[in-house]
Amino acid sequence: MKEIYAVIRINKMQATKKALEAAGFPAMTAYTYRVMGRGKQMGLRPDELSFPETSKEKIKEILAKEGKHAMRYVPKRLLYLVVEDADVNKVVDTIIKTNQSGHHGDGRIFVCPVQETIQIRTGERITETKPN
Amino acid sequence: MKMIRAIVRPEKAEEVVGALAEAGFVALTKIDVVGRGKQKGIEVEGIRYDELPKTMLLLVAREENVDEIVDIIMENARTGRFGDGRIFISPVEESYTIRTGQRGL
Repeated sequence: MKEIYAVIRINKMQATKKALEAAGFPAMTAYTYRVMGRGKQMGLRPDELSFPETSKEKIKEILAKEGKHAMRYVPKRLLYLVVEDADVNKVVDTIIKTNQSGHHGDGRIFVCPVQETIQIRTGERITETKPN
Repeated sequence: MKMIRAIVRPEKAEEVVGALAEAGFVALTKIDVVGRGKQKGIEVEGIRYDELPKTMLLLVAREENVDEIVDIIMENARTGRFGDGRIFISPVEESYTIRTGQRGL
């Protein structure tokens, strides 16, 4: 089993839920309302909306200007779901397809291993000894 | 890759984030959470508060950078008193950038 974390734009939440449901993955967990996130661009800046890679000099330059007018974090939604190994690619593809706008800030997906799942209602345990 | 989840005092979060940025680790997610530790919360004038507000910083880093990041977080989040928080490190197998659809950090 794998746990898939996705950080996405807030306005894509409904579409992502619908797409995952249509692909056969209705179960998921999400953080209430929003989380704050930022990527290599260090938030939102009106003077330069996007640059490819943050170098140390660039960071220094940004930090020196900090406080003028910049959004240090961008509100995002964070959702995660646990799926079988075989389904990871399908879920990742669905999330990418639904959320891809081609602009910076589309978000990220992380895939992490999960050792055991326990259903509370029944006490049923699903264990996986072998990775992959 | 490793996922680093640091639960820190909310008032220390910006210090930690600033120090991480100076060292070159700018990308992260910040989440408001409530939690308690071994002390079962805090008791003030006979009333026990067991859900203390904390900030969770969630970042995914390359394995060779994990020690540096943990050091930075510890240095900047520490007051020496109970409630400074905890850092958890867990494995991440894959990472995707949604904009490009590419694998990797």
